[in-house]
Amino acid sequence: MPDPSKPTVQQQREARRAEKVAGLQKQLATQRRNRRIGIGAAIVAGVAVLSLAVGFIVVGSTPKPNPDDIDIAGLTEFPGLTSVHVGPEPVDYEAAYDMNPPAGGDHYATWLNCGVYEQPQPNENAVHALEHGAVWVTYDPEALDDAEIASLRDAVPSTYSVLSPFPGLPAPVVISAWGAQVQLEGVDDPRMQSFISKYWKSASAPEPGAPCTGGLDGAGRIA
Amino acid sequence: MVQDASPDPAGHTDQSRKTRLAIAAVLTAIGLVAASLVIGRVSSPVDSDPLDSSAEAGFSRDMQVHHQQAVEMAMIVRDETDDPEVRLLAYDIATSQAQQSGQMFGWLAEWGLSQAASEPSMMWMSRPAPGASSHDHAAGSSHEPGSPMPGLATREQLQRLSENEGPDAERLFLQLMIAHHEGGVEMAEAVIERSSKRVVVDLATSIVQAQSSEIELMERMLAERS
Repeated sequence: MPDPSKPTVQQQREARRAEKVAGLQKQLATQRRNRRIGIGAAIVAGVAVLSLAVGFIVVGSTPKPNPDDIDIAGLTEFPGLTSVHVGPEPVDYEAAYDMNPPAGGDHYATWLNCGVYEQPQPNENAVHALEHGAVWVTYDPEALDDAEIASLRDAVPSTYSVLSPFPGLPAPVVISAWGAQVQLEGVDDPRMQSFISKYWKSASAPEPGAPCTGGLDGAGRIA
Repeated sequence: MVQDASPDPAGHTDQSRKTRLAIAAVLTAIGLVAASLVIGRVSSPVDSDPLDSSAEAGFSRDMQVHHQQAVEMAMIVRDETDDPEVRLLAYDIATSQAQQSGQMFGWLAEWGLSQAASEPSMMWMSRPAPGASSHDHAAGSSHEPGSPMPGLATREQLQRLSENEGPDAERLFLQLMIAHHEGGVEMAEAVIERSSKRVVVDLATSIVQAQSSEIELMERMLAERS
């Protein structure tokens, strides 16, 4: 007769099985917890990597390149220009330097005052302004309407720029600095601002920061 | 205990590997956060070159324009009067402000920045200074980007100055230059609030001091000529 206080063999087996099942369940629960920890840690690590990358982009970004590194399509450069004060005979810039309009070279002793002009300006005075770091925005008066001319006035810097009509220009708008020039397709050509960023008052002119006032007020100055 | 290890040795090592992986991932995350903080501290403010949209760059560009007009006005009045006191003051203003313009020109070149701004003038002053409350900002330098710089004379005023001579030119010059200096002091104070760059703060501080004392001088000179 079996002792009721002692478990039967079957009961013992069941107890062992239950123990084993409980052990396995515990093990599974631990594994699940570890997996959750692992996934959580991976997410934390991922977020950290992402924020590090974003931080680098935000902090380290330089949206504006060094002016030396600005590339402008269709740019013409005229290296090694002479800058002798000449006159009163005019300079033939096309024959002497192969440039039209002028973008540097010999010039008159008096510089042109920077500003907005409604009439064509003497090349030899305007070139002297380029020597002082100005940019010269010339436009073909036949190619632009009044609204386009007005938009050019808004687009040029308030100092160190000359805006004037130039009959017979090879393009609707040409922007020139000392030793550099680009022909623009119109007043909205984005290369104009790139050119200004690169050349306006830049050290590529022989005397940047020398005055663009106190010289010659040409005919038809309106601003 | 032998019995603990025996049931599923493979599952056990798998489990401990996962634990190790989790710990490694957490440590990596902490390491990355620490590294990003260190890199951020090392690479940003204090000693790096100012960016294109910084107050330092905005000041260097706008103050050159402002100074160059002071030079122009000083040169005009020297042509329009024989008064030694006004001519000496104008000589002082023209030479010192031309030299200061050159410093700012050089900074922009050294920082690899364009002399031309990619945003309207005075934008840098319309942004609040660090540490300033919104009330300070509203009451202080509430500048509209693109609006004229404080104290800048109009083209018509410059024209009038060159058309006058003698005491009339002197008085007009003093009036225009007092306003010009007041604007210059305002701009210099604005960059001092916004910058920790030593060369910039040093120049701005000397501009505040020199132009403030010149304002007092010019007010006395104007009173003597009224």
